[in-house]
Amino acid sequence: MAVIATMLFNGLAYGVLLFSMAVGLALTMGMMRFVNLAQVSLAMTGGYLVVVAMPHFGLPYLATLPLCFVLVALLTMLLERWVFRHFYGADDLTQVLLTIGLLFMSVAGAAYLFGPSFRPMQVPDWLSGQVPLLGLMLDRSRLFLVGAGATLALALFLGLERTRFGAMVRACVDNPRAAGACGLNTSMVFALTFAVGGGLAGLGGGLAVTQLVIDPNFPLRYLVYVLIVVSLGGTGTVIGTLLASVLIGIVDVAGKYYMPQAGSSLLYLITVVIMLWRPNGLLQRKGMP
Amino acid sequence: MTLTTHLAWRKALCAAVLCACSAAATAQETIKVGFLMTYSGPSGLSGQMADQAVKAFQKRYGTSAGGKTIELIRRDGTGPNPDIARRLAQEMIVREKVQLMIGPDFTPNVLAVAPLVTEAKVPTVIAGASTHGIIGEKSPYYVRTFFSLPQVVKPMAQWAYRNGVRKPFVIVADYGPGHDALNAYTAAWTEAGGKLAGSLRVPLRNTEFTSYMQRIKDAGPDAVFVFLPFGELGIQFMRAYADSGLKSAGVRLLTTSDVTDESQLDAAGDASLGVVSSGVYASSHQSPLNRQFVADFAQAGKAPRPGVGTVAVWDALRLIYDGVAAQQGRAFDPDAFMAFARGRRYDSPRGALSINAATGDINQSVYIRRVERRDGVLQNIEIEELRDASAK
Repeated sequence: MAVIATMLFNGLAYGVLLFSMAVGLALTMGMMRFVNLAQVSLAMTGGYLVVVAMPHFGLPYLATLPLCFVLVALLTMLLERWVFRHFYGADDLTQVLLTIGLLFMSVAGAAYLFGPSFRPMQVPDWLSGQVPLLGLMLDRSRLFLVGAGATLALALFLGLERTRFGAMVRACVDNPRAAGACGLNTSMVFALTFAVGGGLAGLGGGLAVTQLVIDPNFPLRYLVYVLIVVSLGGTGTVIGTLLASVLIGIVDVAGKYYMPQAGSSLLYLITVVIMLWRPNGLLQRKGMP
Repeated sequence: MTLTTHLAWRKALCAAVLCACSAAATAQETIKVGFLMTYSGPSGLSGQMADQAVKAFQKRYGTSAGGKTIELIRRDGTGPNPDIARRLAQEMIVREKVQLMIGPDFTPNVLAVAPLVTEAKVPTVIAGASTHGIIGEKSPYYVRTFFSLPQVVKPMAQWAYRNGVRKPFVIVADYGPGHDALNAYTAAWTEAGGKLAGSLRVPLRNTEFTSYMQRIKDAGPDAVFVFLPFGELGIQFMRAYADSGLKSAGVRLLTTSDVTDESQLDAAGDASLGVVSSGVYASSHQSPLNRQFVADFAQAGKAPRPGVGTVAVWDALRLIYDGVAAQQGRAFDPDAFMAFARGRRYDSPRGALSINAATGDINQSVYIRRVERRDGVLQNIEIEELRDASAK
């Protein structure tokens, strides 16, 4: 029983990790129909910020996390103004090619700036080891991840549902033309949402450093998982993305325990089954293509 | 024609003939060596470190041997892509007219290039693939300065048995060399008279190890032998192992140098302390030649320490330089080179090595090492040596 509970928890933590990297993409895809595959590059940028800023500037881990959010959000805003804005109306293939190109550029750029090797990460003491909770021995780093992810999801959900800006975002997601006709500055809403989405990816990358290894090929390794999460969850929805990522996390971890011979195929099988059942994702918002 | 013009013509003709002769002679003075490594993609680090090794070698030993200039022609194989490797090898042989080759890395590439070098008679030194049975069995012009998987797995199993391990759990990556490692370990273990507590295969793309750690715990072993390729899998495994509580419970982690390579230890951090691995090279090896090699390497580029791939390139260059020098200024003879190389014994920064006369594969010392922190740096410290281990 303890084994199953620990496994569920580890799956939850893994899912939350994927959620934080993918939620930005889900929002921008839902709102602007913009396929931004470079989302994982933004996550890598956040990761590198943490592993470089901590030893270089002597910052504690917690201080680097808001820094990740802010700096990567700024970077995303620049990217949006200079590059993405010109391709909002373009077809999906053009956007995919553009953002995959950006992804490869980020891989080469990271290799040039930071070298091709894996980055060592000094996990702070308060995140190492395990702590007894509810009769189970749970990893501190995973507990932190779940806590941070839950806070993030709650903040996003409340932000979208309860604030004026959130209402504007939801209006633009549901029907950008009508929203514009009502007098909303859609271009500003788009830019800010893009920035927030990018900042979230950076934060996700910063949270990921305790679990994953940062190197220039990070985006290529995790792109598939992020895309699976977004496809399963449905675009434009925070709760959908959270559900999908937790499902993926638990299926992956439990599957590898109960059926290790299947390897990764269980994950892909579940993806196919759900896509056949709900082609638009688990919680597709109404009015989406 | 007047006499002066006639003499002028003759002088011009002689000059032209002399120039042509010296041009032909200079053409014979350069030996072109193809250098087929991986410079881009997930394994791009190996190519960069190989370049650093070449720079260090040529700084110390120069760019010529036996009176001839050694010229390296670099090509990027981009990873385990046999079609690309084959095309690049063909280009180097036909267009650049290379007479020798170092590389390719990765077993599929080695297999793809074998027929080409056999037909073109290009002696080739393999410095980056560890499957057994791909050297002399595939081409009479192949020689290896790397290591073969059974060569390092067997001594690890034997050491484990000698040191009291009785219920090992074996976990390998789910691909060719992983299966080879599992078979080699099982064979050596059965030969010693033991039984495995269990075995598992891990997909090459894997981020979460907690389920596998739980499976290991369920089997209750007294040691775990893991084989994973170079890369993030090894780092994540060591971290997950330390986090899972298996390490603190005293279950020893045994592996090969692919997991504890010097380029990965720092990223794994303290999680790698105490891990026992078998390998043919450790940058901490105490010998004057190695100390000089490590110092030369560190000065030649960005990577701080050499690993086994790096020393394999160094030794390949050593073999080529010596082989060319032995031909004493005559036109390059590939068969004479192969006769020189096969059976050759020499000193390497790793220790003594010899090329098997029959197969071209490498015989060398295999070391059992433990990861410890020395002078603030994580190192593989050699604790035992098995001399002259064969590649089988």
